[in-house]
This record gives sequence, C-alpha cells and structure tokens, in this order.
Amino acid sequence: MTNRRDFLKLSALAVAATSGMPGFLARAATQAGGTKTLVVVQLTGGNDGLNTLIPYSNGAYYAARPNIAIPKKDVLTVTPDLGMHPALRPLMKLWDDGHLAWMENVGYPNPNRSHFASMAIWHTADPTQAEADGWIGRIAEKIGDPFCASNLGAATPQALQASEFSLPSIDSVDNFQLKLPGGMNTPFESLLNSPRSGEAAYLTRATRQMLKNTARVQENVKKYKAGATYPDTKFASQLRDAARLIAAGVGQRVIYVSLGGFDTHAGQRAEQDGLLGTLAGGLSAFQADLERQGLARDVIVMGFSEFGRRVAENGSAGTDHGKGSVMFAFGQGVKGGVHGSSPDLEDLSEGDIKYRQDFRGVYAEALTRWLNLDARGILGGTFTGPRWIA
Amino acid sequence: MPLTPLSRPLTAEDAAHFLRRTAFGATDEQIRALVGQKAQDVARAALAFDQSVAPGNPFDPMQGATPGAALQLGRGAWLYELAYGPHPLREKLALTWSNHFVIATDKVRNVPAVVDYLNLLRRHAATRSFERFTLEVAQSPAMLRYLDNDQNRKGKPNENFSRELLELFTTGIGHYTENDVREGARALTGWSYQGGRGNKQYLEQPRFVNQPQQHDDGKKTYLGQSGALKGEDIVRIATSQPATATFVSRKLHRAFLADTPDDAAVQGSADTWTRTKGDVMAVLTELLASEAFYASRSRIIRSPIEFLVGGIRTLGQPKIDARSLLNLAGTAGRMGQVLLEPDTVKGWDGGREWINDTTLLLRMQVAAALTMGSKAPNLDTPPSLLALTGQERPAGAVLLSSLKGRQRTYLSLISPEFQLA
Repeated sequence: MTNRRDFLKLSALAVAATSGMPGFLARAATQAGGTKTLVVVQLTGGNDGLNTLIPYSNGAYYAARPNIAIPKKDVLTVTPDLGMHPALRPLMKLWDDGHLAWMENVGYPNPNRSHFASMAIWHTADPTQAEADGWIGRIAEKIGDPFCASNLGAATPQALQASEFSLPSIDSVDNFQLKLPGGMNTPFESLLNSPRSGEAAYLTRATRQMLKNTARVQENVKKYKAGATYPDTKFASQLRDAARLIAAGVGQRVIYVSLGGFDTHAGQRAEQDGLLGTLAGGLSAFQADLERQGLARDVIVMGFSEFGRRVAENGSAGTDHGKGSVMFAFGQGVKGGVHGSSPDLEDLSEGDIKYRQDFRGVYAEALTRWLNLDARGILGGTFTGPRWIA
Repeated sequence: MPLTPLSRPLTAEDAAHFLRRTAFGATDEQIRALVGQKAQDVARAALAFDQSVAPGNPFDPMQGATPGAALQLGRGAWLYELAYGPHPLREKLALTWSNHFVIATDKVRNVPAVVDYLNLLRRHAATRSFERFTLEVAQSPAMLRYLDNDQNRKGKPNENFSRELLELFTTGIGHYTENDVREGARALTGWSYQGGRGNKQYLEQPRFVNQPQQHDDGKKTYLGQSGALKGEDIVRIATSQPATATFVSRKLHRAFLADTPDDAAVQGSADTWTRTKGDVMAVLTELLASEAFYASRSRIIRSPIEFLVGGIRTLGQPKIDARSLLNLAGTAGRMGQVLLEPDTVKGWDGGREWINDTTLLLRMQVAAALTMGSKAPNLDTPPSLLALTGQERPAGAVLLSSLKGRQRTYLSLISPEFQLA
C-alpha cells in the first residue's frame, strides 16, 4: 500500500502529464465556475407512469387495470385528479413545501418500445439515434472538465459518454483511491509514458484520468459529515456518496444515479411498490442531508425512465412496454406542481398514451436555467418545455 | 464472400494472439507449441472440444443453503471451469452466448434451471444449428421464467420473450414491426414450465411443458408468413431471416475480432452463415483461421472475467483456494460482470464500457492480489512478456525487463497491453 505522500506525488505526475489528451481534457476548466449541481436519477426498465402519478378520478384508468390499479383510497392526493403512489409518501413534504414537480406525459417523436433504443434516445437526447455521445458527456465537453459529471455505480451510462472519453464512474467513494504496492509508483509512471496508439492509448488516458480523479476526491471528501440517516439500500448509499461529493466541493455539476428493476411484465404491484419505496426513501434522506448541511439551495434532482407502460394491464398482472411517462424533479430550486396536462386515456396510440411534452424541453430547462449552459449546443436544437425551475 | 484464410504458418505472436482470443491467454510453452502450424489446423483443433470438465471442481451449486448461496456457488463453479477447464474455447463461447441469450439469476433463482441453462450453452457452444439452439433456449425453464413466457397465455399475451427474440436474439432492431412482436407472442402462448417455482423449491428441477389449452391456435402473420403458427414456427422464421445471419455474426466478431467490428468482415461470416443455414461451427472454423482474425490485434478490451481468467491462465493456472476464487467471482461483479447476470437483457456492451475509474482501480487490486499479495500463488517461472502482452517487444519492454519476476508480472497485468486481447 502506498502512503499518502507517495500517492500525492504520483497524482501530481498524473496531473502534469496531460499531453496527448483529447482537447477538452487538456483545456483549463475555465467555464466550470457555477456552484449548482443537477442530480439525474434514472429509473431503469420503464417505470409505469400511470401508477406513479395516478389519475384517480378517471374511470378509464380503473377500467384498463382491474388488477393493478392503485385504489383511490390509497392514493396520496396532490390535485383533484392526480395523486402519488402510496410508496412515495416520504416525498410528500417536498410536495407540500412546493418543491416537488411532476412533468406529465413526457416522451419523444416516434416512440420506440425497445428498452435499449429508448434509453439511448434519452441518453443522447437524439430520437434519430445518430449520436453516440451522451447529453451529459457534452455538458462536460462544454464546461471543459471531465470530472464535472460522474456516475455513481459500476458501469458508465451512455449519457456520460463523451467523444473521446467516458466520464468517471464511482462505485463507492471510500474505495475510490489507488493503492499501489510499495516501490511501484515510478515504474508504473514510466510504463504509462510509453507511446501507444488505438485502444492501448485509450487505456493509458483512462488510467491517467483515474489517477487525477481519485486524488481529487480523496483530498476533499473528508469535509462531509452525514446530516441524515439513509435507508439500507444500494440506491440510498449511492445518494449518500452523491451528498459526500457535493459537500466535498470537487466541482461536480452533474451526478448520475440509477435504480433498476422497473420492467414489470408480471406481478407489477409488488415489484413497483417496492421500487418506488426504495426510490422515495433514498431521495428523501438525500434531501434531508443536503438541508442539514446547508447545501440544499444548490442542488436539484431530476428523474426519468425510458418509457412508461401500456395503459391496459396484461394477462400476468403486469404491463408491457408503452410510450410516454412522467418525469419528476425536486429541490429548493424547483417550482413544485404538476407541469403539463395528463394523458387522454380514451385517445390512445396502439394502446399507449400520446405524449404531449418532449423530454428535451425538460432537459433544456435544467441546462439553461439551472446549470446556466447553452442548451441548444448540447441538445442539438431549441426545445421549450415547462418552466419547472423556480 | 467467405473470409480469406491466413496462408502463413503461425508466428509466435500469431499463436499468442490466437490463445488470447480463444483461451483467455496461455503460458509461453503453450504458445510456442502452436508456432509453425497451419491456422486451419489450429482452429479446428481448438473447436474439437467435448463436454468433459475440469476435475476437482470445489463448488457444487446444489449444496447451497439458500437460493442466493447456491447461485454464488454456481458462479464459483463456472469461474473454476473457465480458469482450469480443459476446453477454454468452449467456455469462452458459453460466456459469449450467455451475453447473447441473456438470462439473469436474480430473477430465475432456481439452481437446476441455471445449471441446465449453462450446460445448454456449452452443448451448443459451436452449434451446427442456430435454429435448434434457439429453440432449446426458448423452451428452457430459465428463459421461460426470465422473459415471462411462462405467463404468456391464450387471450392474455405477454410480449416480453417475443420482443427480445427479435430485438436481441435474432434479427435485431429495424427488421420487424410491433405487429410481429404481438403475433409472435400469440404463437408462443402455452410454452411454460412445471416445478421449481418459489424460493423454497430452488433445488427442484423444473421441466418445460407445452400447454395446448393455453395456446392461441388462430391464424397469425409473422415476418410475412401466415398460418396457425406455433412457437416452433416463430423460432424457425426468426432464425432464418437474413438479418439474423448478420446480427449474430456481428456478435461473434465482437467476441473474437474487435470491439468495433469491420462491416465487410461481418458480412463475410454472414454469407457463410446463410449458405450453411446457421451452422455456427462452420462460421467459427472459417473465422478463427482467417486473415481478418489474425490482423485484428489488440482490438478487444478484456472483460472482467477475461481479465481474471486470462491472468490465471497466463500465470500457468496456479492453484487458488476456493474461498479466493469465490471472492474473485464477486470482484468480477464489482468490475461490471456478474456471471449469468448482466444488468439488462441486452447483455454487457463491453469495449470501452468496461473501463472507468472504479473498474481500473479494481483491476489493479486484483493484479496485486495475484502477484504480490501475501496469498499470491508461488510461481517458479514468471510468465514471458510474450505471454503477458501478446508481443515480443511490447511498449515499456525495456522497463519491464529490468524488473524482477513478481514486480514485472504485476506491472504487466496492469498495463494497457494486458488489458487488451
């Protein structure tokens, strides 16, 4: 194990040796200025929006879902027509305080029911699927600092791919440090200095960037002292790591967290109820933590899923892949309420709701009015959506 | 146009390359044994595997006290076979197919179903009939459970398997309509399994059942063909599409040639696939003896399992105790590859997606554990640079040559050259 001084020495070398890096990595991070952070939460598998924000006054909803509809008596009422799934109760305080927003009926043109095609569309912000880079990768390029956005988890999602680099994935902040056996620092540095091309050059760059990123996190993360108790779930522990990174002030502008398992083809109630409980429990602890640390003014959360489910339940008390769905956002910087109108459940397209709001309009609001970036350059067009930033 | 065969006898670097791709890696001695041979003979010999397994496997999933423990033992058993088994190419293919016909153990949670599934992948590793292989997959309790076809009944369709059959297992996106998905689901109604359901029955053997009373025997139209189609018809029609030849060939190129395959080379394999009606053995024999294969050096980033197993095989298969092997299987998971449990039904994307700060850190820790840690296996002869890097004069050769055995091995294992195959 290397000691701290050796480690810093090694890191310093890594920081200095930026020649041969892609342009945006080598540029000074002059635009990284802002202090605001956007936390993006992905609900993987296609969360059923109709059982999340429930049209409890609509008979068509109950007619289409005799087995899996949320009974009216269980709904957490938010408007005369809509209510939240009961498992989302931990988020009710945010709603009551006017800091929780629901974006109704969000989708994109020519919806795709493939998880992967649809996820790629949300990640690249490109319904034609021509782009390979992710929208958050492009934020990092714009800001000029590859560490300004990170994924919490083992695998880097496409949203965080940049043209020549993928942004950091941090599985656990505590393990995010290099421990080389004694005496190996100098030979390791020399080995990295050998000229390479192709994938070998890519791996060299990735290793150098890792050395830099880990040093930066470990230097700063000690500043954090937990302000809330988190539930004992992987999702919640990732959110706690997000709070630690934010408290460390290492320049993170976007943090990405995923919760999987929403592909509820059979026995949906039990599965989705549990997942939404995990979601709400983690998110409310995160918000409480930020508030106690005095960081809540600078952080908002925005959540999405790649698609919703069919309006009608299938024969296995589940739902098959559908089209549009709801998005959510919360934080002191968010204008609470329901943004947009609910889907018409009696005017469907192939059994699915017809979306009315383009998700890129929702992204655009976060980009321009929260992160203060040029959304047009990142999204490849001008999109207007609900004004959900306060 | 079939792929052009390699005409030269194998050089040392050719042989190292072949064994990195087909056996996860090898010792200097194993590499030298192939030098001077003909590429076709080498490919045929490697593909002539039987179903024999490594002796002395310390793991038996049926001994698991709980479903979770049993599945963990199953992963240990597979890692043991990968690292010590007599047929690494069979295992490499089973790993490749497990990333094509994806299931996930957290949903299946039945040990005999998972064991049977892995053995099905091994039996068809270099299948003579992709149609037969796909049919057996479609009727395996593991897949029936994973993609919910056991819930697919007349009048109550569940589209999950029908969709993925087209999107991920055969034609790929763009070669079918939503209507084909729906009609396919109708044709597949009634295929289910008996036994082994629930946490308490995790050691009970489930069996495929065809339930005629649950089958929708009405007329369907699927990929342009109409009739009272049954599940077998759907599998036959989907697997015989020209798009399937290209889509699955591309996956084989991803596994054996490059993270970003060359379209013309893929087409060469697809042509052979079409001509032989999905004879994967024929496609592989041609592929693994081709100029294109030998020209594609260092174009695959090793997956976590390939990294681990490659390390063990390159070190000459030193004995690693059972507990450490189980830990390694768990570490592969933290590096993004839990055996038989990709994050999604699409499987692992691989390539650059294997690499990020956390996974690089873990690779370094594993390399240290295998070479320099207190429990590191004792090596009489450290691996040669050719065995470690696939090159006789790799980047940093001077530096590496100046280091002593363990340090040189450690540093090589964390070098970009070792990470690539």
